[in-house]
Amino acid sequence: MRVGLFVTCLVDLMRPGIGFAALRLLEAAGCEVVVPATQTCCGQPGYNSGDRQAARALALKTLKEFDGCDYLVAPSGSCAGMIRVHYPTLFMDDPTVLESFQRLSERTYELTDFLVNVARLENVPGSFSGSLTYHDSCAGLRELGVQAQPRALLAKMPGVRLSEMRESTTCCGFGGTFSVKFGDISAAMADKKCEHAAQAGTDVIVGGDLGCLLNIEGRLRRRGDEKTRVLHIAEVLAGDG
Amino acid sequence: MQVSAMHFKRKATESLRNAKLQKALEKLQSKFVDGRAAAIAELPNFNDIRDAAAEIRARAIENLDQYLLRFEEEATARGATVHWAENGDDVNRVVADIAAQHGARRIVKSKSMVSEECGLNDFLESRGLDVLETDLGEYILQLAHEPPSHIVAPVVHKSKEEISDLFVEKHRRARTTQITEMCREAREVLRPGFLSADMGISGANFIVAETGSVLIVTNEGNGRLATTLPRVHVAITGIEKVVPTLEDVSTLLRLLPRSATGQSITNYVSVLTGTRGKDESDGPEHFHIVLLDNGRSSLLGTELQPMLRCIRCGACMNHCPVYQNIGGHAYGWVYPGPMGSVLTPTFVGLENALDLPNASTFCGECAAVCPVKIPLPDLMRQLRNKQTERGLRPWQERVALRLWSWMAQRPGIYALYARLAARALSWAGGRKKRLHRIPGASGWTKGRDMPAPAGRTFRDLYRSRRSS
Amino acid sequence: MSARENILGRIARARGSSAVDVDGVIRRHQRGPIPPLEDNLVKRFGEQATRLASDVERVATLTEAPGVVARYLAGRDLPRRGVCWPNLAPFDWGAAGVEVEARAARGDDLVGITGAFLGIAETGTLMLLSGATTPASVSLLPETHIAVIGAECIVATLEQAWDRLRAERGALPRAVNFISGPSRTADIEQTVTLGAHGPYRVLIIVVG
Repeated sequence: MRVGLFVTCLVDLMRPGIGFAALRLLEAAGCEVVVPATQTCCGQPGYNSGDRQAARALALKTLKEFDGCDYLVAPSGSCAGMIRVHYPTLFMDDPTVLESFQRLSERTYELTDFLVNVARLENVPGSFSGSLTYHDSCAGLRELGVQAQPRALLAKMPGVRLSEMRESTTCCGFGGTFSVKFGDISAAMADKKCEHAAQAGTDVIVGGDLGCLLNIEGRLRRRGDEKTRVLHIAEVLAGDG
Repeated sequence: MQVSAMHFKRKATESLRNAKLQKALEKLQSKFVDGRAAAIAELPNFNDIRDAAAEIRARAIENLDQYLLRFEEEATARGATVHWAENGDDVNRVVADIAAQHGARRIVKSKSMVSEECGLNDFLESRGLDVLETDLGEYILQLAHEPPSHIVAPVVHKSKEEISDLFVEKHRRARTTQITEMCREAREVLRPGFLSADMGISGANFIVAETGSVLIVTNEGNGRLATTLPRVHVAITGIEKVVPTLEDVSTLLRLLPRSATGQSITNYVSVLTGTRGKDESDGPEHFHIVLLDNGRSSLLGTELQPMLRCIRCGACMNHCPVYQNIGGHAYGWVYPGPMGSVLTPTFVGLENALDLPNASTFCGECAAVCPVKIPLPDLMRQLRNKQTERGLRPWQERVALRLWSWMAQRPGIYALYARLAARALSWAGGRKKRLHRIPGASGWTKGRDMPAPAGRTFRDLYRSRRSS
Repeated sequence: MSARENILGRIARARGSSAVDVDGVIRRHQRGPIPPLEDNLVKRFGEQATRLASDVERVATLTEAPGVVARYLAGRDLPRRGVCWPNLAPFDWGAAGVEVEARAARGDDLVGITGAFLGIAETGTLMLLSGATTPASVSLLPETHIAVIGAECIVATLEQAWDRLRAERGALPRAVNFISGPSRTADIEQTVTLGAHGPYRVLIIVVG
């Protein structure tokens, strides 16, 4: 299986370790992994801000870049959702191009979904030990049905004790540009997420989208919490934890 | 109702700092969210019913005029008079004329969000008419001179202490904060109003084309009293509320109470058809039905058409994490939360409610719980597209997005930017590896730090690992 | 152009050439998906009605009803005096010690006794039809509402109720009132309180 890793702009800039963890996991699952060098952004910022033209341009670029891959896998429900669910809606007026996007859509997966349902990863290389709680990122959950998959993978790690938090599926308040445009509402939502995580009695919060994780960690630190760690699921599964 | 949607940001911030409101909003989770979940769990074929409900509403909207004409025909045959109103002013005039025509001075009202769109109460009062809200929540708002903050639970923002203070001030009776006693007090104060009213005004949850009927769901009994005792009944409703048959309405009734309050059925469902019969001792002698457009028809044939399916259950706002944090008043008009973020710009003008469709993370919970499957985040995105097309976005935002997409299409330049940005952010983060301030992103840093990156991009690290 | 013409015109233009056979749709009375219900409708009706805070009593014959009413009112320290629908007047209220008048209710009547056209088992709901001999005020104005319903009148769903109504009456009466318990409100702090503007309590006597 030739898997194209869609690193995501946030991972590339802010936490490359997640990209390498994803790489390690995909290779552990027996995939040949390529990282198309010209990839940049999936186009979601423009798409959600009313700039369809920009979104279309980036969609076409991504389509071409991942043409030679059997699969496109991203360590992000948000970017995978953009490509899988929203790209086709940008080309409803062009049947030939639409067909290509539908085929891309069928080959596009969020990382944990791919590992569980396609690559069928049996042995998780990670050695994390301790308790943690899981935040379900919105796009992954509601657009792609990612919920059981990360938990199934964590269950394969004998040292992991998963303690579910209240309202794990409630939005953390990131929402891309929302976090900057409506900062106070966003911070209040992040606050609630931090509180629910604390009530779960662990000091490790795990999630599948770096945007959420930066938001949660940023709020924790401003609240004076230096202890709680915020990790990407790939980092936990691939041994970085 | 006065539009203050342009002050959304300021009002949202105030709401976040309002401790009393925050406490009141906590109830949304247990009462409405958990309530709905339990109620729909009782329907083993919930998903099928939901699919059917969405179909029923979509088909009715697709042939709206045909069903409205049938409704008008049937209602008229049963003795009702059907009026058509283009906007709120029309409604107000029609209702005032009906009151004048029948010599009605004392009016009791059962809840109607449409009447809020029109500012009906103020208009009628300016004409010297006596209007008494009878839905307990609406009555409390009338006493407090406040607008509703939720379409189903209008005073969700008030504590019982605040309501008790209001009652003491207006009723001049002994103070009580016992909820049962407060309800008894409201009953006793309002009962004479029902008995002496000339005219009752209500909304309509649905209107049925098959029979020309108006259907009202209530729990308190005020809807029944207001539409049974007075000699004139006026029902005001949006044109989109028409449903073809009684069977259709039965399917919708399985979902409306469950989605709204977690009830399997509301205490009263009244199906009202025509005027008092020859030998009947109750019921209105005159029944007027006012059908309001006010911008609804402008959604037909557009990508926003699905919004017309809305059955006003309130589930979207109950489950919206933004609404849960700021309540309804910040949205600045009759309809708050996700449905309000689509309807308010539609009814009062895109340019008067710019923030509403933007104040969403697109988490998708609203669409997940909508009983008629309205794709609310998609509709809000459509409105964002419209704002961009009409040049209504701030120039800084347009420039930033243009710049981002321009760079993202040029991998060489993008790689350079990312390399520089990673290094700069890492350096600015210092030893503690975090930033307290980011130029241009104070919305983030006012309430949060930003964890600093390590300093090199994945792209660069991958390339160097590959070559080594 | 009138508002009516403007509105209908706009809608018709948006609709374009697609049209539906309204008569056909209505005649078909297409039902939506019905949730599965147990066979024992009377049991289901009783359980749901009780859940929604009605009091439910079962008797074998109608003649027992006045006694049930008397005990119910006495047990709650309520006056044994009320108004009723005319078809309920002929029973031996006197022997049970209950004073009834067959008329519409006024503001100061405290007990109202009605029959019901049907009961809906799915939700424990009473279906009352307005009419000259079935005034709506009797179930609405008094603080206590007592409804007497034959067990054979309990159907499973709203859909079945509409079919029965169409078969037996043809057209809808002025008001079809579905009643599912005492009036209630949760407007104050989302706390459900029984007894708002309508009755504080509902007793359903199922006969047979």
